[in-house]
Amino acid sequence: MKKRGIGLGCAWYGTGYGNGFPDVSSAFVEIHDDGSATVLTGAVDVGQGSSSIFAQIAAEELGLRAEDICVNTADTDVTPDSGTTAATRQTYNTGNAVLKAVRQAKSRLLTFAAREFSCPTPEGIELKAGYIGVKGDPSRRMILGYMVFKARLNGERFISAESSTARSTPVDLTSGQGAPYWPYSFGCQAAEVEVDTETGKVKVLKVIAVHDVGKALNPTQVEGQIAGGVTQGIGYALLEELELQKGMIKNPAFSSYLIPTALDVPKIEAYFVEEAEESGPYGAKGLGEPAMLPTVAAVINAIDDAVGVRITALPATPEKILQALAEKKEELG
Amino acid sequence: MITIEFSVNDKTYVLEVDPRERLLDVLRNRLGLMGTKEGCGEGECGACTVILDGKTVNSCLILAGQVHNSVITTIEGVGNRQSPHPVQKAFVEVGAVQCGFCTPGMVLSAKNLLDKNPHPSDEEIGVALSGNLCRCTGYDKILRAVKLAAEEGKQ
Ligand code: FES
Ligand code: FES
Repeated sequence: MKKRGIGLGCAWYGTGYGNGFPDVSSAFVEIHDDGSATVLTGAVDVGQGSSSIFAQIAAEELGLRAEDICVNTADTDVTPDSGTTAATRQTYNTGNAVLKAVRQAKSRLLTFAAREFSCPTPEGIELKAGYIGVKGDPSRRMILGYMVFKARLNGERFISAESSTARSTPVDLTSGQGAPYWPYSFGCQAAEVEVDTETGKVKVLKVIAVHDVGKALNPTQVEGQIAGGVTQGIGYALLEELELQKGMIKNPAFSSYLIPTALDVPKIEAYFVEEAEESGPYGAKGLGEPAMLPTVAAVINAIDDAVGVRITALPATPEKILQALAEKKEELG
Repeated sequence: MITIEFSVNDKTYVLEVDPRERLLDVLRNRLGLMGTKEGCGEGECGACTVILDGKTVNSCLILAGQVHNSVITTIEGVGNRQSPHPVQKAFVEVGAVQCGFCTPGMVLSAKNLLDKNPHPSDEEIGVALSGNLCRCTGYDKILRAVKLAAEEGKQ
C-alpha cells in the first residue's frame, strides 16, 4: 500500500567560523578611467555565485552595471586572503569586505568630484547609471570614467584595501556562555512523502522551503541554493551512506554511494524571508548550508506521519523502513 | 597504433591512436576540446557526455578504436557565446548553472532529447537527464530550463 504523510523541519544555524576563531575577509578595489572597476578577493566561487554577488555590490555602490565590474578571485599571486568558502560565510563576510573597500575608494572619488564640480561637500555628489554628478543638478554631471580620467591626470587614483572581521567570541567552557556566531540563519521546510509499505521505498513528492536570508541580493541564486540544499538533504535523509571499514571507504563510487538524480527530486517551492541583518551587506546573510538542514527532519517526520514509524539512523533506506514496519506490527501483536 | 577517421562537430579528423585510449582523452588531449569533463571516469556521473551517432554516451567508457567512422558532437559543437543553442539560452535565462561542471553533459543530454522528442513530458525530461549527476542545483532549475527550451521550440 502507498501511504502519504507530511512533515516539518526547522533549523537555525550560526554562520562563519565561530567560537572566537579569527574570521577575516579582505578585498582590493580599483575604479578605472574607462568606467569600470576591479575587485580582487581571495574568496572562491565554487558555483554558489559569490563572484556575482561581489560584482553586484560594487556596481550598486558605483552606479554601474554588474558587467562593468571585473572580479578576480582565488589567485594567491594577486588576491588578498578571504578565508575558505565554507561556514556559509562568503556573501556575508567577504561581501562586507568588498562593500567596505568599494566605499573607501568611492569616498575619495566623491571628494575629488566635489572639488571638480565646485560642490561644497562630497555628500552632494552621486553616482548613477554610469555618471557622476551633483545631486539634483543634471547640468553638472559627467561620465564616471571621464572623472576618473581627470583624476588620473592630476595624479590621483582610486584604489583601496579593506578587510572585515566577523563578530565571534569563544564559548566559556565552564559557564557555557558566549556569543560564538554572528549572524544566525533560520529556515523551515515542509515535505510531503509517499511510502510504499510493501517495498519500504520513500518518494518525496513536494518540499516547500522558507528561509530567512536577510536580503536576497540575487534571488535566482537564492532559489538555486535552496533547491540544491533540499536535494542534498533528500540524499542525506534517504540515500547517502558512507560505509567505512577500518577507516577505508567501502563505497567510493556513485553506483554504491547514491546521490539524488533528476528522477529523485520533488517539486520544490522556495520562498525567502527578508528581515535585514544590520551587520550584513545591504542586510544580507548566508544561506548555503542552512538550506539542507531542515530537509532531513521534514522527510523523516513525513515518513512517521505516513506510516507511523520513527527512523532514528540515517539514511532511511527501504530496508530500515520495512524492518521498522515489521517491528511495529509485532508490537501491535 | 591504429588509424581512425571520425567527425567531431562537423570536422573530419584522421588520427593515429592507441585503440585503448578513451574517447574522453582523445577529445580533450588530442583535439583540445576541454568542454567535455571528467567526473568519475567510471560511467556514473555523465560529466563526460557526448553525442555519438545520435546517442548520448559517456565518453570515459568509449575506446578510441570504437569511434572509427563515427559522428560525434561535443559541447563545443552545440553553440557559442554569439549564437547559443536554445537549450543553452534557457539554461542562462533560468539560472540553471552553478559550478558548471555538469553543465556540458546536461546540455548535450537535453539537446539530444529535444532533437528526438521536441515535446517531452516532465517524466521524459527526468529520464533523459537521470544519467547526469549534479550536486549543486538540485536539478530544479535545470529541469525548468529544459522545459522552457521545449516550449520555446513549440512556437
Ligand atoms: S566521467 Fe564519464 S561518466 Fe563520469
Ligand atoms: S552545477 Fe555544479 S554539478 Fe551541476
